[in-house]
Amino acid sequence: MSNYKLPISKINQLFKNKELKPSELYAETFERAAITESIIHGHLELFQEENLKKALNSDKRYEKGKNLGTLDGIPIAIKDNINISGYATTCSSKMLSNYISPYDATVITRLKNEGALFTGKTNLDEFAMGSSTENSAFGPTKNPWDSSRVPGGSSGGSAAVVSAGSAIASLGSDTGGSIRQPASFCGVVGFKPTYGTVSRFGLVAFASSLDQIGPITNHVEDARLIFNSMKGHDPRDATSLIESKAKQPKLKNAKIGIIKELMEDGISEDAKKEVHKVAKLLEAEGHEIIEVSLPLTKMSISIYYLIAPAECSANLSRFDGVRYGNRVSGSTSSEMMELTRANGFGPEVKKRILLGTYALSAGYYDAYYGQALKARAMMKKEFTDIYEDVDYLISPTTPSDPFKFGEKSDNQLEMYMSDLCTIPANLVGMPAISIPTGLSSQGLPLSVQIMSPSNTDNTLLDFSESLESLVAFTEEPVINGVVS
Amino acid sequence: MNIIPTIGMETHVELKTNSKMFCRCHVLDTESPNESLCPTCLGLPGSLPVPNKKAIEFITLLALSTNCSITNDGMFHRKNYFYPDLPKNYQISQFDLPVGTEGSLEIVVDGEFGTVEIERVHMEEDTGKSTHIGSGRIDSATSTHLDFNRAGIPLVEVVTKPLIKSSKEAVAYIEELRQLVIDLDISEGKLEKGNLRFDANISVAHEGDKELGTKVEIKNMNSLKSLEKAIEYEISRQTKMLIAEENIIQETRHWDEKKEVTSSMRSKEGSADYRYFSDPDIPNMILSNDFVNEIKKIIPELPSQKRKMFIETGLSIEDANNLGKNKNWIGDLYRSITKITGDSKSSFNWVTGELQGQLRKLEIKDLPNWVTPKNLSEIILLVKEDKISFTSGKEILANLIEQEIVPEEFASENNLIQENNIEEISKIVEEVIENNSEVLERIANGEEKLIGFLVGQIIKISKGQVNPSVAKELLLKEISS
Amino acid sequence: MADKIDIKNVAKLASIKLNQEEEDRLKNDLSMIIEHFDALSKMDLPDDKISIHPLGMSLNLAEDIASKSLTHKEALSNAPESKDGQFVVPPSLD
Ligand SMILES: [Zn+2]
Repeated sequence: MSNYKLPISKINQLFKNKELKPSELYAETFERAAITESIIHGHLELFQEENLKKALNSDKRYEKGKNLGTLDGIPIAIKDNINISGYATTCSSKMLSNYISPYDATVITRLKNEGALFTGKTNLDEFAMGSSTENSAFGPTKNPWDSSRVPGGSSGGSAAVVSAGSAIASLGSDTGGSIRQPASFCGVVGFKPTYGTVSRFGLVAFASSLDQIGPITNHVEDARLIFNSMKGHDPRDATSLIESKAKQPKLKNAKIGIIKELMEDGISEDAKKEVHKVAKLLEAEGHEIIEVSLPLTKMSISIYYLIAPAECSANLSRFDGVRYGNRVSGSTSSEMMELTRANGFGPEVKKRILLGTYALSAGYYDAYYGQALKARAMMKKEFTDIYEDVDYLISPTTPSDPFKFGEKSDNQLEMYMSDLCTIPANLVGMPAISIPTGLSSQGLPLSVQIMSPSNTDNTLLDFSESLESLVAFTEEPVINGVVS
Repeated sequence: MNIIPTIGMETHVELKTNSKMFCRCHVLDTESPNESLCPTCLGLPGSLPVPNKKAIEFITLLALSTNCSITNDGMFHRKNYFYPDLPKNYQISQFDLPVGTEGSLEIVVDGEFGTVEIERVHMEEDTGKSTHIGSGRIDSATSTHLDFNRAGIPLVEVVTKPLIKSSKEAVAYIEELRQLVIDLDISEGKLEKGNLRFDANISVAHEGDKELGTKVEIKNMNSLKSLEKAIEYEISRQTKMLIAEENIIQETRHWDEKKEVTSSMRSKEGSADYRYFSDPDIPNMILSNDFVNEIKKIIPELPSQKRKMFIETGLSIEDANNLGKNKNWIGDLYRSITKITGDSKSSFNWVTGELQGQLRKLEIKDLPNWVTPKNLSEIILLVKEDKISFTSGKEILANLIEQEIVPEEFASENNLIQENNIEEISKIVEEVIENNSEVLERIANGEEKLIGFLVGQIIKISKGQVNPSVAKELLLKEISS
Repeated sequence: MADKIDIKNVAKLASIKLNQEEEDRLKNDLSMIIEHFDALSKMDLPDDKISIHPLGMSLNLAEDIASKSLTHKEALSNAPESKDGQFVVPPSLD
């Protein structure tokens, strides 16, 4: 096993024992990128040169025994909708292809304080809207397991680079499954924390009440490490939670609910099989498995595709060519803005902005957006009630294994359905993790998703770590004829 | 049948916080553009709003002081419209749950009390500033320059019910609101600096009509004078149209300061659809009863309370209202003086007229510490009791402002005490009559204005120490006898 | 309800200029999605007070302490057009 697939705690140990230098790992990561990136296209921009100096500084800290944190010297890839000062933040949009951010997102500041290094910015569906990275204005990312297949989305780049080994870990953002679904497609761990535990300041908003930044990693323990480095109240984000105490689920002899509605039509046999396999393993460990019903889960796609577009229709209004962005000139400012937005946004982004605009417009608000808000509140109640009975909920992460490029891009509803299992966690705000557990009949990665009540993130991660060792998934993709 | 105008006012009050409403950029009073900006107020991708606590305290103060009910569980909304001076192309505002609702404000019109009903008081953020470059006219501009220093400064919008009946009432309302925000110390309250900006919604209808007429919104009134003129112009325009049975269209009109007319602004296609929805970046804002009670404790004496108290000292509504418009120390000084003199009207006149006039002339901002209610009252009483003339009183006041003197001593030392002894004065009167037989003859022939000349002679001989009214009285008595 | 989508008006509100092909395609796509919402919009749901925030948290206000953020140069660094320290756009009309 190469260094870049080791758990971060191991790498940190190697650094401390002077068996490996951060600059050496950094070089190794970029060597790996040189092999994989031409096929995968996970990074939009690599920071190799600029950050080498930082890697050398990290070397010196370890030499003196004064490393900043466990993440000191760890190369992490950042989804290109998270601002790093001095670098482009394009959101994979033509609109922002020349935009250089003048500030750091809070998560970036916190990772910098830990001494983390950044490999570069990763590809995504434009403004995080999509499930395949096919909506990137800069070309899609390929799935490291099969380059004819999508890596999932919207954090497709972030999942693919971790899977391919050109970053030790990465940050993604998850609005309806954008961390977990690509993590599942690429056979890595993806964690969406409780809404409000990680600051959104500096994350380019898609749907503010759903967006949450989280880690994509090779190991659950890495996800926990990065999550704990980033989390905590941020005075610059009014939706950021102040430390709150919640009743924690059990780690031993826990009661785990399989969500009935996420094991029905539209879910592949492979995906169901994976859940049953994991359920058996857990049962053997002394956990109790029951089937639970959450009827409103069936409505989650509709609720989501009203709330997210409505919020995005306002969030993306700022891209008008006035203060930044690729302007298309016009004879009046309103014409300039209309042309700039027509030219800068891709088809999926336009569709969602218009859908949201329609849902909020006079005469339709109550029937659509207002109704979605009510249903969301009801759905939250359904989950709260279930957690009175169970410790965790389990489901497939995705309805199927990775699909082929173009397979769903002509059928919007089918594409939207690929987020069926992941959306409820965003609507309810609870934490959810995707853990790779096996391969499909086509030899492609499959995962299960575990969810727990809000503000029980670390317990969920502890539980997931024990599950991870139970399933012992060690398969890795072969890229360019090179196994990682 | 009578035609009745109805007016509603929408006023934006700029709050005087240190930092902006949703970010911590300085609120700057500067001519250099784009100096006080951050990712949030510039609407950069990834930025987020966090509301300013001070601004929320200020708006709560204003809402309570206008007798509004406070919304305990309120929220912020996004008001969506595209305009280059609006960085996010939505304005964070409040829609159906504003901080204050259903309030009222006492006003004074023509010396009488009135009431303006307040519909709502809500919090929002200001936009940037556009300058249209070109030949000067907005519709022939070649480009627009944008300065975002102002973007994000906290604004309170105060909306009245459409129950105002005249331009005078509207002006009195703005004056009262201005005084209120100054006394609450929540805004500079300077109209010329745009700290208060107002629009008027005007309609006319036949008396007794159940429904209001078509509403026309008037913008761009930068002073109380232009507010008054614009409303009067618009009422007369609409009244003529109503009489001629012409169709009044619902629109926004622009007040042209030079031509003194309102003219139709380029109308937006269709009616605005702002797609209000609650801002997902800002959780619900809970204003607890504890919070509201704490704010209640810090409400200072309000203009209406000051007025009431001044009226109790004996002033007319009008005088009390005018006195309240002065700096607080003027009112306090008046209170102390009127207690000593027992004469509210002359205390009011001396404080607001003579004293303020002298200070202004000498460009003195603060009263010198030796000028006290006691020695000021002494001057007022000397004049009131005819011991000195009004002119001498002014002279003593001028000296008092420059140096520490005792008014009565100063009056004696400078021979300003008036002679009120009738025997003494009679002697001088007799002397003047003897020496002016020719003048007396002309008075007898009807040239009565020459009496004044003779009084002047008397005062001259007495070196100004004779009370003119006493002299005149004695003179007339002598002539007629 | 879906056939009632006035795509021109929606695009105007969203300030996006659409060509004819886009108008036709988007109208069709949106109609399909909105049809899918039918079941949800017909549900009978209680009219409780809604919190937009999924965890129903309450707001923490910020202290009114001003601080310096972007420099003038940084603020204008991404401007498509600027002059005399201001952002420049084509004439904006009311
Ligand atoms: Zn700011």
